[in-house]
Amino acid sequence: MQFNSNDSGSNLQSEINITPLVDVVLVLLIIFMVVVPFLMEGYDVDIPRASADTSAQVAESQLILSIGSAACPILTPPAGEGIPKDCQVTLADQKIPVAELPARVASILGGRPAEQRALFLAVDDRLNYEGVLRIIDLAKSGVEDLKIEFVATN
Amino acid sequence: MQAAINITPLADVVLVLLIIFMVMAPQMRKGPDVNVPNTSKPNAQGDERGRILVSIDESGGLWINDQPVAAEHFGETLRTAVGAEPNPKIVIRGDAKLNFREVREVMIAIEQEGFRGVGLIAKRAGAEGK
Repeated sequence: MQFNSNDSGSNLQSEINITPLVDVVLVLLIIFMVVVPFLMEGYDVDIPRASADTSAQVAESQLILSIGSAACPILTPPAGEGIPKDCQVTLADQKIPVAELPARVASILGGRPAEQRALFLAVDDRLNYEGVLRIIDLAKSGVEDLKIEFVATN
Repeated sequence: MQAAINITPLADVVLVLLIIFMVMAPQMRKGPDVNVPNTSKPNAQGDERGRILVSIDESGGLWINDQPVAAEHFGETLRTAVGAEPNPKIVIRGDAKLNFREVREVMIAIEQEGFRGVGLIAKRAGAEGK
C-alpha cells in the first residue's frame, strides 16, 4: 500500500513538478515553429509620385539628404558592419561625414512634431543597395518616427 | 512502483527541438535566393503572409510572392496579387549586391500601380537567416 502512504501526505514530495514547464515549452515550440519563418524587419519608405513635378514641391522645411557616388563611393556591398568612413553625404546643402548624420538629423528634425519629421533622400543610382539601407538606418537612429521619402533623381 | 510517467527525457527532446527551430526557422524559405542587406536596427515589418512580397534577386530578376515575374508583366501581376485588398502593404526584398537603380526602378513600377509606401526588408546585422 505504498500509494496510500504517498497520498496521505506522510511523505513529502521532493521532486519539482515539471509538468507545467513542459506545457509552456511545448506551446513556445509550436509558436516558434509557426511564426518565426514569417517575421520580417526593414524600413518603411515612401516613393515619389513619378507624375508629380517634385521640383515645384520642394519647400523650405524639407530636409534633403543627397548621397552621391563621388563623395560616398559605396559601389559594392560594404564589408562588415556600418558605413565606410570616407563616405560623405550632403544634408541640407552641407557636406558632412556620414558619421555625423544622426546628430545633424536629430538637431534639425528633433524639435519638430512627429508628423513633420521627414527626410527626403536623393540617392545616386550607382550606389549599392545595402550601403543605401545602412545610411537610412543611420539617419533613423538619431530621431524617433522618422519618415523616409525618396525624391525623384535625374 | 512509480506510477507517473517520467517526462524528463520528453522535456529534454522538446527543449532541443525548440532550440533547433529557433535557430533554423529563419533560414527555411522557398522562392528566390535573396540575401537581404544587413543593417543595425531594422524596424519590425510584421508577418510576411499579410504582405505583398516583391523580391529582387542578385541578377535583377523580379518575383512577386515567390513567383518569378517578367519585368513587362510586373504591373499587372502586382495588381492581381493585391486583388481587392483595400489597404495592401508591399515590401521589397532586394539583394544586398544590387545597385540602387534596380531597386528604384521597382519602386517606380510599384508607384505606377498607385502604391506609395513600401517596406525595404533588411536583416539585423549578426542575425542568422535570409
